[in-house]
Amino acid sequence: MNLRRLKQSVDLIRVLVGRDIKLLYKRSALGVLWTLVNPLLQLLTFVFLRAVLKFDIPHFTSYVFTGLLVWQWFSKTTSQSTSIIIGNRPLIRQPGFPVAVLPPVVVTTGMIHFALALPVLMVFLFFDGLPMTPALMWLPVVMLIQFFLTVTLAYLLAGINVVFRDTQNAWAVLVQAFFFLTPIFYSLRQIPEHFHALYVLNPMVSILTAYRSILIEGHAPDWTALFKVVAVLAVLFPMSVLLFRHQSRRFVEEI
Amino acid sequence: MTAAIRIENLGKRFRRYHADRPRTLKETLVSGWRPRGKGEEFWALRHVDLAVAAGEMVGIVGQNGAGKSTLLQLTGGVGTPDEGAVRVRGRIGALLDLGAGFSGDLTGRENVFVTGVAAGLTIREVRRRFERIVSFAELEDSIDNPVRTYSSGMQMRLGFSVAVHTDPEVLLVDEFLSVGDLAFQTKCLNRIREIKASGCAILLISHSPTQINELCDRAIWLKRGEVVVAGLPEVVTGQYEVEMRSETRRRTPHRPTTLAASGLKLEVNRNRFGSQEVEIVDVRLTPGEEIGQGEALVVAIEFNAPKAVRAPRFNVGISRAEDGFSCLDLNTEVIGDRAEVLGRGWATLSIKRLDLAAGRYYVNVGVFQSDWEYAYDYHWEVYPLRVEGGVSSKGVLGPPFRWDLEAHRALS
Repeated sequence: MNLRRLKQSVDLIRVLVGRDIKLLYKRSALGVLWTLVNPLLQLLTFVFLRAVLKFDIPHFTSYVFTGLLVWQWFSKTTSQSTSIIIGNRPLIRQPGFPVAVLPPVVVTTGMIHFALALPVLMVFLFFDGLPMTPALMWLPVVMLIQFFLTVTLAYLLAGINVVFRDTQNAWAVLVQAFFFLTPIFYSLRQIPEHFHALYVLNPMVSILTAYRSILIEGHAPDWTALFKVVAVLAVLFPMSVLLFRHQSRRFVEEI
Repeated sequence: MTAAIRIENLGKRFRRYHADRPRTLKETLVSGWRPRGKGEEFWALRHVDLAVAAGEMVGIVGQNGAGKSTLLQLTGGVGTPDEGAVRVRGRIGALLDLGAGFSGDLTGRENVFVTGVAAGLTIREVRRRFERIVSFAELEDSIDNPVRTYSSGMQMRLGFSVAVHTDPEVLLVDEFLSVGDLAFQTKCLNRIREIKASGCAILLISHSPTQINELCDRAIWLKRGEVVVAGLPEVVTGQYEVEMRSETRRRTPHRPTTLAASGLKLEVNRNRFGSQEVEIVDVRLTPGEEIGQGEALVVAIEFNAPKAVRAPRFNVGISRAEDGFSCLDLNTEVIGDRAEVLGRGWATLSIKRLDLAAGRYYVNVGVFQSDWEYAYDYHWEVYPLRVEGGVSSKGVLGPPFRWDLEAHRALS
């Protein structure tokens, strides 16, 4: 019986992720390619800026494109998660609907878009003269950690947004700020030493660095940094789910 | 027998928020974190007890805002009670906002999978039922078109079909039977009966007393969050209907059960309602409880007014026994008499000929306050009437008739 429920929850996530991806396909001629347009345009901007700002980063194009794709998954998913409760009203009013599947649905959809963009990234790596290395086998692990981080934030933001409707605006501003405060188009080495301690507090810095170790430098990521992120999440995740659960009782009254 | 739905002393409190309650972060920051008024609380449901056995169907009537939908939601596990408990055994299905969860850009097929799984099935189970769902909704030809190209009727049909094919053990239904055309409605009703027969416990909200009488085994009447009457559907809906016209019930005193002239029991709030300011003492039907089709009928009402009452309105109605359909409804307002009555008296209605179809009926008699605000006394389904003879038909009327056939006969 419990096995059936687990299977059912997995199926639920599957059909809802399928729905979101199909919707993206069907609404536009370019379909899923749209998710690539944005990072590619941003990439063009930074390649242009590189000449102006004299960034001295090896394999700049691959370096920045990695950063943009990883960031897009993170920022889009967390922004969307603020409105999932309000946006899925008919589903939530369905008796027995497990509201808790919604944050994983959004994060999984984002992860699939990320995975679909990976081949394009590989093309960039190839033309940058970067070889594929065995370190690539660590890629799923890092993706899993990013999934863990994003889903934790998704529960947290979705829960808060039920009470404070402008959480989405506040989060949009924060994400915009952290786009610049995370070394996406620059390198941590360019930042003065005494700021590093602050940078380390941003979990996306450790995750982004790990991706680049694997894809660009071709070696295993810094496990200590990643472990710290996972340790913090191990505490934060149950708390977010609890908050979400608690808030979900108010959904009926608030939506 | 253990109940599929067991609701015990259920209470749900809502808060009417003050208009100045902060709704956003900004407002909270501006107004500061100082403690704010808790807002005015009210009970949307209180002291509700209800048990529904497997295979049983219970109807819920009540005015808007009486707590019907809240009761359904809490039963479905949407929201948590503030008092008491709801226990439900088995998978819950629901016929609420049909088709509301559809995505217009996805095809009917894709939407069936999304809504089916969201309703608690696995993908495999939806696949196995898919053919049946589509053929029930009569959408074989358009199932691969985007749902946005469907008419609202088609969407509701599909929504209904998915919901009734999830094999629920408990089904919650909110005003569903406006789905599609008459033929489809009949199909829906039959399907509901099938589900019920298969052992599903059903809670049905409906504004149609006829529907509740037809489908339900029992009914409850919710008023301001509390159950005011529970019992046989005809009894509950009958009282509800009376209340809808007046404030009768509030004024009905408790009286011991009495026997009517017909020998049937007159029981307050079951088949007798009213303040008793004017009391119906006796009702006589002439020639009798059985009359021939097209015969005259005289309904004589003997009443007693202990205190003077100004211009009471007498009312006589005839309703069909099988479904409560109102066949006749006449009252004394037409004669415009505004005199006071005091003590005993008679009100007599003479019908020259009663051309009703053969069958069983009830004569319902009542005396009402002069502006129809409430009933002084109303006897409902107490006096049976049987119309004999003629050709029985599905219609209401049985007038004298004759057929004439004129046609050119084909030469063979």
